[in-house]
Amino acid sequence: MTNRQQEVREFRDEALSLWRITFGPVIWATHFVACYGLTSLICATDGQVDELRLGIGIGTLVALVGIAWLGWQAWRQWDVLHNRDWENDSGTSQDRHQFLGHAAFLLAIISFIGVTYVSLPALLIGTCQ
Amino acid sequence: MNEREHLPVATGPYPPTEEMLAVPVSKEEQERGKAELRAAWKTPEGWRYFSAVNNTEVGVWYCLTAFAFMLIAGLLALAIRVQLAFPDNTFLDADRFNQFFTMHGSAMMFLFAVPMFEAISILLLPAFCGARDMPFPRLSAFGYWCFLIGGCFVLGSLIFDAGPKAGWFMYPPLATKEEGIGPDVWLLGLSFIEVASIAAAVELIVGSLKCRPPGMRVNIMPLYAWYVMVVGGMILFAFPPLIAGDFLFELERSFDWPFFDPTRGGDPVLWQHLFWIFGHPEVYIVFLPSIAIAAMIVPTVAQRPIVGYSWIVLSAVGTGFLSFGLWVHHMFTTGLPQLSLGFFSAASEAVVIPTGIQLFAFVATLMVGRVKMSLPMLWIAGALAIFVAGGLTGVMLAIVPFNWQVHDTYFIVAHLHYTLFGGMVFPVIAGVYYFYPFFRKKLLSETLGRWAFWLIFTGFNVTFLPMHLTGLRGMPRRIFTYPESAGWGTLNMISTVGAFVIAAGFAVFVYDLLRSKKNQPQIPRNPWGAGTLEFSHDVPDEAWGVRSIPHVTSRYPLWEQDKIVERMDAGRYYLPDAPDHQRETIVTSVIDAKPVYVQRVTGPAWITLWAAGFTGGAFIFPTFHMYAPAIVCGAFAIVCVLYWLWTATARPPKDQMRDVGLGLRLPTYASGPDSVGWWAVWITMLGDATAYASLVFGFFFYWTARPDFPPEGAAHPTGLWVACAAAALFLTWALTVTAREVNRRGGVALARGALLVAMAAAAGGAASLAASVTALDPTTHVYPAIMWALMVWVVVHVGAGVIMLGYCLAGSLFGKLTSLYDADLQNVTLFWHFLVLEALVTATVLGLVPGWLA
Repeated sequence: MTNRQQEVREFRDEALSLWRITFGPVIWATHFVACYGLTSLICATDGQVDELRLGIGIGTLVALVGIAWLGWQAWRQWDVLHNRDWENDSGTSQDRHQFLGHAAFLLAIISFIGVTYVSLPALLIGTCQ
Repeated sequence: MNEREHLPVATGPYPPTEEMLAVPVSKEEQERGKAELRAAWKTPEGWRYFSAVNNTEVGVWYCLTAFAFMLIAGLLALAIRVQLAFPDNTFLDADRFNQFFTMHGSAMMFLFAVPMFEAISILLLPAFCGARDMPFPRLSAFGYWCFLIGGCFVLGSLIFDAGPKAGWFMYPPLATKEEGIGPDVWLLGLSFIEVASIAAAVELIVGSLKCRPPGMRVNIMPLYAWYVMVVGGMILFAFPPLIAGDFLFELERSFDWPFFDPTRGGDPVLWQHLFWIFGHPEVYIVFLPSIAIAAMIVPTVAQRPIVGYSWIVLSAVGTGFLSFGLWVHHMFTTGLPQLSLGFFSAASEAVVIPTGIQLFAFVATLMVGRVKMSLPMLWIAGALAIFVAGGLTGVMLAIVPFNWQVHDTYFIVAHLHYTLFGGMVFPVIAGVYYFYPFFRKKLLSETLGRWAFWLIFTGFNVTFLPMHLTGLRGMPRRIFTYPESAGWGTLNMISTVGAFVIAAGFAVFVYDLLRSKKNQPQIPRNPWGAGTLEFSHDVPDEAWGVRSIPHVTSRYPLWEQDKIVERMDAGRYYLPDAPDHQRETIVTSVIDAKPVYVQRVTGPAWITLWAAGFTGGAFIFPTFHMYAPAIVCGAFAIVCVLYWLWTATARPPKDQMRDVGLGLRLPTYASGPDSVGWWAVWITMLGDATAYASLVFGFFFYWTARPDFPPEGAAHPTGLWVACAAAALFLTWALTVTAREVNRRGGVALARGALLVAMAAAAGGAASLAASVTALDPTTHVYPAIMWALMVWVVVHVGAGVIMLGYCLAGSLFGKLTSLYDADLQNVTLFWHFLVLEALVTATVLGLVPGWLA
């Protein structure tokens, strides 16, 4: 096997977990930029925020469902209830795999909280000014 | 065409078994290995010492220089405090006061906080990773010399009374209209240093991804390496918007292109966006690596593995992400819609969660361990106390109505100093005490250390705690004096006294650091009883990094892997010798750290100094509007870099394979994603694309923010020329990819032809793009100006792309680049992947978007 193939296989093994780690925060970032960008546009033009708030509400629900699904997948990858290994601190491929699941799970929680926080102003503030 | 050849691959047993590791190494064998390594890694002596590029030398110079700049910035702060001690004081006039506070902030940020992180990481990261050196030592050295030249230039402007005086954030229009060369010094000098910072960030990311010892999978990496990756990534996405902003700003200052001038369609708020998209993550760029130092000290002090390793990794990554969503909290009073402010207020509160998790993990580790209040731990404890106080005022400031009340008052000054002193200065000093025995093989004084701590800790609180009140009582920031009737005199006097107590503490610390320690006995090897690899170092000092590169299977190998140090010392592990007297280190795979190849590491050289000097000229001459010498310097800088690459990197090796020990044989050359160079290009181009995206953001920002964008009846770029440019640059990219593929299959002549045509096509593309905007006058309105700016950006990059293609062509003609050894061509193709994207987006913005907007 060439080096390239070896590294490609290593990446393929963990591709899913790497995507999981990235996607939680990426959903947070996309949601954030969409909220901010849409609000800037609408407040700079007609200032009609009712549809905007509804849109942000729907977008938030979609984002939260997406993150929750990622979190669930990551939780299963971490597999802590099965083997009770909280630390995943040995140099084996199983521990590496579960560690990446754990990290992705925790990031999903942070992203979930982040998205919830960012959507609160749209729930509470009903005007551009 | 020939059948495709492959580079050889690793052969032999891996991972090593316990039996293999238990085989003793003969005394003669050990001595031979040591002698060879000593010869390969010898530090140059006499005046040649300054041609050294090894991380242990460059890292120490870098740390000392950043520390010296900090002391100078600290003296400026003292002068500021003296001026503010009494009402109506005349110690400094307004002009000098403005220069001093601007330079205090700028120097602390750009000449101390960020470079200090990179300096410490260059010094320590290879040791954490059991690597011999960083992957690109000459790049570290180049970055260091750039930093030294740029730093002296920027700080030196104060001596000539020519320093910038519009504040470290350089808000236009104050800064764009400022007389003299101050803002140019700031913009060009600091852009130059930012380039060096990005170079170091690239090196550090590649170092922690690819230069870990065999077996050190991602789940057992030292936390410091995780933080380096996160912070390196943040630098890549945070600094480029500022570089893009600097680019626009300097075009306005030098050529009157009105990006920030509202009378001609510009908008000063764009600068604030670009500045704070950099400026807020910057706070975390400064904070995270210092917390990483704490993450290394705390387990040692507690004598047990860190609690919640995965939680800390998650917090570092999470903080890195969330910190990008906070920039507008510096802009709460610029009149943005309330709803928008709400998003940023909420995101600012959310970032507390991952930040808090890290602190709780440290506290938990200390609670379950057997803690001894050693000197490094004392500083960490002080850091936690101060940082938590700063974090609490941070939560207050994230609330919009409170923020409006204290905006631009001394409350902000108090808050930011609490976060930065607690989050950066204290942990870094803790790190100095903790790692001093590693890099100097001596210990600092326990007594002096405690004196320094209590002086700085007390002085700090005496200075900055009252400032919360001064701010709440209405004292604005950045005023050079105030009337007695304002009633701020007593509080300011207390702060000034405190500032001198801090200074006394630093004096003790500096004395301890620099005093002669000749009479101190030799220290034990691992004085703190740490568990990570850096404390397997040799005492007395050896320049080879690690005697042999170990196979690592746990997070704290010195605690958990029996006999590891003994075996490293005996040369039982990998690369225990250097038969050719060449500097080498092992490059491993990204996730599981399996050995991939042996990287030749470059040795001492003067060329890096020359390159840095000429690069400095290219940035410094334009400050004085001397463009001809700047261009000459730029050209010489390019020649120096090309010479350095040509003579030292990616040359076909003498032997294809190298016996690295324990029966394992590794190749000595790699190209494409295996190689460290490919990763470096990839990471650099991510940063470059971010800067470019910031310019495009500017275009759309003007479109949303300004009703007159584009202005009625404006001239647009010529569609035909834009189309020609897009076609030609796309062709260049296609030819480059073709050249890479046919070269790999042995079609060397065809590849050379493709490269030659690609160079011509690229030149044609650049010329077409320039021609498309020549009818527009960039000084009349921001619309033509941003079109020109996009054109200039792409044309300059195409220039670099043409040089790279020429370099590959020359490599092919002179035998440096063959069908087997094609790393250069792989890397250049990667560069063109990014460039063709930037070119096509530019063509869309120049050629199509105006039609859509109409």
